[in-house]
Amino acid sequence: MHEMTLAISAIKSVIEFARDNDIDEIDTVVLEIGELSLVVPQYMEDAYYAAVPGTMLEHTKLRMDIVPGNGICRDCGKVYNIIEHKGRCPVCGSESKDILSGEEFNIKELLVLEDEPE
Amino acid sequence: MLRTIEIKESVFANNDREADALRAELKGKGLFLLNLMSSPGSGKTTTLVRTLEALRGELRVGIMEADIDSDVDARTVQDAGAKTVQLHTGGMCHLTAGMTRQGLEALGTEDIDLAILENIGNLVCPAEFDTGASKSAMILSVPEGDDKPLKYPLMFTVCDCLIINKMDVLPYFDFDLDAACERARRLNPNIEIIPISAKTGEGVEKWADWLRGQVKAWKEK
Ligand SMILES: Nc1nc2c(ncn2[C@@H]2O[C@H](COP(=O)(O)OP(=O)(O)O)[C@@H](O)[C@H]2O)c(=O)[nH]1
Ligand SMILES: [Mg+2]
Ligand SMILES: [Zn+2]
Ligand SMILES: [Zn+2]
Repeated sequence: MHEMTLAISAIKSVIEFARDNDIDEIDTVVLEIGELSLVVPQYMEDAYYAAVPGTMLEHTKLRMDIVPGNGICRDCGKVYNIIEHKGRCPVCGSESKDILSGEEFNIKELLVLEDEPE
Repeated sequence: MLRTIEIKESVFANNDREADALRAELKGKGLFLLNLMSSPGSGKTTTLVRTLEALRGELRVGIMEADIDSDVDARTVQDAGAKTVQLHTGGMCHLTAGMTRQGLEALGTEDIDLAILENIGNLVCPAEFDTGASKSAMILSVPEGDDKPLKYPLMFTVCDCLIINKMDVLPYFDFDLDAACERARRLNPNIEIIPISAKTGEGVEKWADWLRGQVKAWKEK
């Protein structure tokens, strides 16, 4: 359910962007999803395809680019993957860190069919 | 051939713009909107009933109930004397600024000073979606544990006030009040923390005072 609400927000944003930029046919919507974000990609995919019928995105494909959840240890400066190391610095064991990436939930880009040269 | 059109915009950006617009309108009207969030069962409705008692005859309050899909909560606060509207959220996990705007329209705001949104019981996505509220508050109740700030950091970061509810049962739980406060302040140094018991009424006056002060400041500036 969580992903459905988020999918609807994403779809709404894409449709507004397309309208504002006079884009009428989209092939693929590309979302950027951080490993540390609230979004589970598999659920997002299901939610997306369940939500697009009846909208201008009905026949679009969804692509999801996953951004690794990286942090920098506040104690020793090591950069590490937070998911892989369960939030604990692999060098010094500290849990204190600043998140560098992985919280994003962005509409990254749209792939559209190239206009035929006139 | 496919051509790439770069957007690179947060899915939340649209909602953020709508929220800012709503906030500016409310400011213009001098109407204060409080967004109240918590896990299910932390005591939002009970705290609201206490709040209505404390503010009776002072501020005209309107309440938007989004917490559950039945109208039980709406009736409870209506019985306590507030103008109320039940928002039917049909399994949604958060409210957007657009839904909040519709809720305010359904409530009718001409004759109130303070609108309160009882948000859907969830500590996750309501934190991501700005409702357009003047201020946000959350309730953490003692039985939920003092480690909630570690599990749901964003919620503690976006709230202006943290109510710690069910203080009457503190002796029966290994809830460390100082640890909870310290964890919340580490995420949000400016957060106002008010321990209360919505059951006994302890601390409710302090919460009502905070709210009064916020409403006053909102109307003045
Ligand atoms: N012991 C105790 N119980 C409380 C307190 N506040 C609320 N409750 C109880 O907690 C349950 C959930 O409260 P409710 O206000 O419906 O929570 P909501 O789901 O956040 O709106 C109810 O059974 C309340 O009676 C409190 O301060 N102390
Ligand atoms: Mg309730
Ligand atoms: Zn959710
Ligand atoms: Zn380290």
